[in-house]
Amino acid sequence: MAKQSSKEIFSLGVWSDNPVFRQLIGICSALAVTNSLTNSLIMGLGLTFVTALSSFTISAIRQFTPKHIRMMVQVLIIAAYVIMVDIFLKAYLPEFSKTLGAYVGLIITNCIIMGRAEAFAQKNKPWPSFLDGVANGIGYSAVLLFIAFFRELMGFGTLFGFRILGDWWTSWTIMIMPPSAFFLLAIVIWISYNVQHKNEKSGVAKS
Amino acid sequence: MKKTFWYPIVFMSILTAIFTFVLAFMEVSTADKVAENQKYDLQTKILYVFDIPVSDTSVDGVNSLFTQKIEEDGDLFIYKDGDTVLGYAFPAAGPGLWGGIVAYVGISEDYSTLLGLTFITQSETPGLGGRIEDEEFLGQFRNLDVSQATAGSYIVYNPSPGGNVDAIAGATLTSKSVANFMNEDIHRFISERRGE
Repeated sequence: MAKQSSKEIFSLGVWSDNPVFRQLIGICSALAVTNSLTNSLIMGLGLTFVTALSSFTISAIRQFTPKHIRMMVQVLIIAAYVIMVDIFLKAYLPEFSKTLGAYVGLIITNCIIMGRAEAFAQKNKPWPSFLDGVANGIGYSAVLLFIAFFRELMGFGTLFGFRILGDWWTSWTIMIMPPSAFFLLAIVIWISYNVQHKNEKSGVAKS
Repeated sequence: MKKTFWYPIVFMSILTAIFTFVLAFMEVSTADKVAENQKYDLQTKILYVFDIPVSDTSVDGVNSLFTQKIEEDGDLFIYKDGDTVLGYAFPAAGPGLWGGIVAYVGISEDYSTLLGLTFITQSETPGLGGRIEDEEFLGQFRNLDVSQATAGSYIVYNPSPGGNVDAIAGATLTSKSVANFMNEDIHRFISERRGE
């Protein structure tokens, strides 16, 4: 793999190779937590932290890790960081710990973390791996927040728990139920695909 | 060397030991803080159940208000004004959708009115069943008259006949379970107390 600059790593992780709408991984949690902006934000921060640090650690010990047990090693490292996040939230941000509840533990199963560990951290130096983790975390969080914005606004009439739409607004119950996440995620994928392939299409048309 | 039989075992053991040590250290060093948070949380919630206004929300402020107004008797909290008992808060628990739910129910001294409700532990879906912790839902149990309720049906969701509380839209299982275990535990509490 050619060496990438930090700028390339970021533009790949956040946009052109975005984990959610390009690689289509981490979808389950993107569907689950996006009915509230606060949950999405904490989930995004938690995932960014875990992906960055686990990628860093996996990369740092990659030369000593026997290939055939690398998955076991990765899961161990990822799980350890997730538990750290959990302990930290419980001790210093008990309110957030309660809001997020079971989802903190579910970060372990997020495919993005292991996906990055396998696709990037195994083959790159620690620092670029760390950046790659941050970039993918941001890409993931951005999609979550985008979807959550519409779901929370239309489903509850609130943003981050603050009431935005007045009493005249009839909440769309479907927006807080799982199906709406499917619709919105599909729309996000559709729009981003078209934007990303706009240049290619116009190129084809001209020739 | 990496291909040998023992290398992966030793490698994995060392790595596990390091991470276990770090996690154990974090766990132990935050244990007091976590316990303090939980105590503060419980006290705030019990004060909420009895609708006691909290002016000083600091840890010490809540603690002194709590010890001044509330007496603990096992898992029962008794709200007292001097020597007069104003109400009780007792635990009610049952299964939720994802895990157990533990609630505290406040009831007036003559068992005729629910004073309030709070949830101590719940792991319902955030945004759906998790909204049982929202004031919109909890507020409905504030000073809810249950004197006319037949045994075991203190909480009835609208629009059923005799309904007195609105369930949470989209969280049918959580709502149902909450009503079920509350009805059971309120009934048990009242009949136990009356039997004494």
